[in-house]
Amino acid sequence: MHRRWLSWIVLAVVLAVALAIGSGTRPGSATVSQRVDRIARDVRCPSCSGLSVAESDAPTAMAVRQLITDRVKAGRSDSSIETELVHSYGSGILLRPPAGGVAAVVWVVPLVAAAAAAVGLVVVFRRRRLRAGPASTVSEEDRALVEQALG
Amino acid sequence: MNAAVGRDAVLLGFLAAVIGAVTLVVGLVRRRPGALRNGVVYAGLLLLAAVVAAAAMEHGLLTHDFSLTYVAQNNSRETPLLFTVTGMWSALEGSILLWALILSGYIAAMAWRFRRRAEDPVVGWATVTCFVVAAFFFGLMLGPANPFHTGPVPPDGLGPNPLLQDHPLVAFHPPLLYLGFVGFTIPFSFAVAALATGRLGEGWLVETRRWTLFAWGLLTVGIVLGAWWSYQVLGWGGFWAWDPVENASFLPWLCGTAYLHSVMTQERRGLLRVWNLSLLVATFSLTILGTFLTRSGVLESVHSFSQSTLGPIILGFFGLVVSVGIGLIAWRGDRLRSPGSIDAPVSREGAFLVNNLLFAGFALVVLLGTVFPLLSEAVRGQQVSVGRPYFDTMARPIGLALLFFMAVAPVLPWRKAGGELLRSRLQWPAWAGTLVVVGCVAAGIRGLAALLAFGLGAFAGTSALRQLVLSTGSARRRGMPLWTGLVGRANGGMIVHLGVVLIAVALSASLSFGHRGQVRLAPGQQTRFAGHTLTYLGTRGVLHPNRRELEAAVRVDGGAVYRPAVSQFGSAAEGIGTPSVASGLTSDVYLTLDTPPEGATVGGGPGPSIVNGQPGTAPAGPTAGPGPAGAAVIGVVVQPMVAWLWIGGAVMALGTVIAALPERRRRAARGTRLEQPTSVGAETPVTGPEPAPVVVRAGGS
Repeated sequence: MHRRWLSWIVLAVVLAVALAIGSGTRPGSATVSQRVDRIARDVRCPSCSGLSVAESDAPTAMAVRQLITDRVKAGRSDSSIETELVHSYGSGILLRPPAGGVAAVVWVVPLVAAAAAAVGLVVVFRRRRLRAGPASTVSEEDRALVEQALG
Repeated sequence: MNAAVGRDAVLLGFLAAVIGAVTLVVGLVRRRPGALRNGVVYAGLLLLAAVVAAAAMEHGLLTHDFSLTYVAQNNSRETPLLFTVTGMWSALEGSILLWALILSGYIAAMAWRFRRRAEDPVVGWATVTCFVVAAFFFGLMLGPANPFHTGPVPPDGLGPNPLLQDHPLVAFHPPLLYLGFVGFTIPFSFAVAALATGRLGEGWLVETRRWTLFAWGLLTVGIVLGAWWSYQVLGWGGFWAWDPVENASFLPWLCGTAYLHSVMTQERRGLLRVWNLSLLVATFSLTILGTFLTRSGVLESVHSFSQSTLGPIILGFFGLVVSVGIGLIAWRGDRLRSPGSIDAPVSREGAFLVNNLLFAGFALVVLLGTVFPLLSEAVRGQQVSVGRPYFDTMARPIGLALLFFMAVAPVLPWRKAGGELLRSRLQWPAWAGTLVVVGCVAAGIRGLAALLAFGLGAFAGTSALRQLVLSTGSARRRGMPLWTGLVGRANGGMIVHLGVVLIAVALSASLSFGHRGQVRLAPGQQTRFAGHTLTYLGTRGVLHPNRRELEAAVRVDGGAVYRPAVSQFGSAAEGIGTPSVASGLTSDVYLTLDTPPEGATVGGGPGPSIVNGQPGTAPAGPTAGPGPAGAAVIGVVVQPMVAWLWIGGAVMALGTVIAALPERRRRAARGTRLEQPTSVGAETPVTGPEPAPVVVRAGGS
């Protein structure tokens, strides 16, 4: 038994160690350009469709990127920068829908669906097992009947 | 002349579809086999009408018949031949015509294939369903989307949208995508027919398997080519923007993929019948919804080349399809009860069930993200954007889970799997995955999402390879040649899996480890960017018949010279950036001419402004203060492994073909971390001679 599992235990340990090392973030806090990039990816380019200001080189996108850079350098928090952008450009400027308000629907519905699917799977398989269960336990009366018939 | 012929042909097609449908329904209801045999005649008429209409349109385009409004708007005397021909699908009305042509081709092929069984009510009802769909699309061309509308004759036409005459892929991507979209009409029709007749055995599934596979394969190729086109043309260095129109093509693909998997459960064990029918209805109705999203201009997107009043009509048809589908399934609910059940969660059918839930969940997320902004604005007047951050966040865990099950499912037996069997079959794939993760970490790659993608990719890839090796090996032992042992459904499926793994790994690598920036270089100057040496050689103007082009010459890594350009088409005010890509197996260097040198002109006119390939973007001015004389700003995107996306797509196509070929025997059996664009000039040129004057040669190449 242990033999059979040994290789898998070694594998699990190796994998866990590798992933733990590999997922470690670099020491130190994010640099200005990393922070600007992170914010810019969530902000829509005002004049082009669907691209973020991190991806687009349209002048409007460059202007927004510059604004984000200035605010980050001034030490403002991510959320206050986003609030400022929403104030100037409207709520449509953020590519990541907010987790509050009506837009929360896009986050909540998939989670609810996933939970429902998981519960559904468990219920289906458990019911199958229960249904299969009684068939294997034979009541005394049944035994008596069978013996009678055989005898 | 073109207009008259075209209009008459469209009318003929409409009448053939309507009369065909009525005749067949009468024949079916009154049980007249003679009437049913006429189906193939009406299908032939339909195809004839569509071919004549399409020929009239192409003739109009080729002869620059500007009396046709469509030709005047999508063609000009200077448009090159290739883009004159592709003009047919450059805008709404022509696209509907292409749709009708392809649909008629499918219907005629189906009617011909089943001509000897035309009296079978299942074939009859399937043909009726096809005719109704055809009547809808021909009807659109009679009314709101008339491609043969005539108007005042201008001296010259406007020409196609500049983005649609910039790359030859426009000749392949839309037709292939449509072949995929429209192809799902056939399995849908058979599903409706099976429900209508109540003959819900497995026969119709087997009949339509190759049709579904054919449509799915072409849709896959169409989507991959679309991504390639977007990469080669749009100029932002990406290939998938989660644009509503891209999503519209992805949604039927997701449902179709789920169906191709779960249908095996039905063929093998008779399970999941309601689910399979629902998936077919969903796939087909999502192609209609895709048409609505693409063609009504309802969603703002880079693809909204066309806008029309068509929206409510298509939406109505979508509603009809959905309600007929759901109604029929509900009506036949009692006959759809499965004879058996899934015995154990750890089994092939259990894995297919989980696979299907994941695909359905993926489709739900994409659908929700695509239509929510629309609903929010319509209902509450509130503007919400749902973009890449949302889709990436949601798609990543689903994609990783799919990779995991892609590794496990193929080794599972039907009904029930024991632990011992799983351990021995998955041992090598699991170690391959682990070693890849260890290797990547040792090579200095960091980031949990990317490492998981690489590791699970290796897990799934090795699992697929294992199946391939085992099955070709056993075929060989029985004396079959390698090729004969390779063709068939299961092996084809495993090859498709290998293609998916390549795409997943390439997606994850390119999105996680890309570098993006701009460099300002004077002619002769050289710089290093993300491990590559770029030498700017100068800029020159080139005159083409349909456009004026300003192209920069950039030598990459001391080798070949690449020429990103800005083109101005006809009288269009905006210039269109044409990127140039130094593509390699390890990484791509993607170059755009962001700001031409000051004073550089094309053909003596004013220098074009750049919009980076994004329609609706305001013309760009200089992006920074005046630099050294003759300096150009070159946009650079370096991303690893992009080429493997296209290779993966080709492998998927190959696998589909192998899966569709007849088998000799029946066998038992992506994180984003792009560096912030450095501000102009931040990448300082390291070496290079004194800036030399820009080479601007006007006219001639």
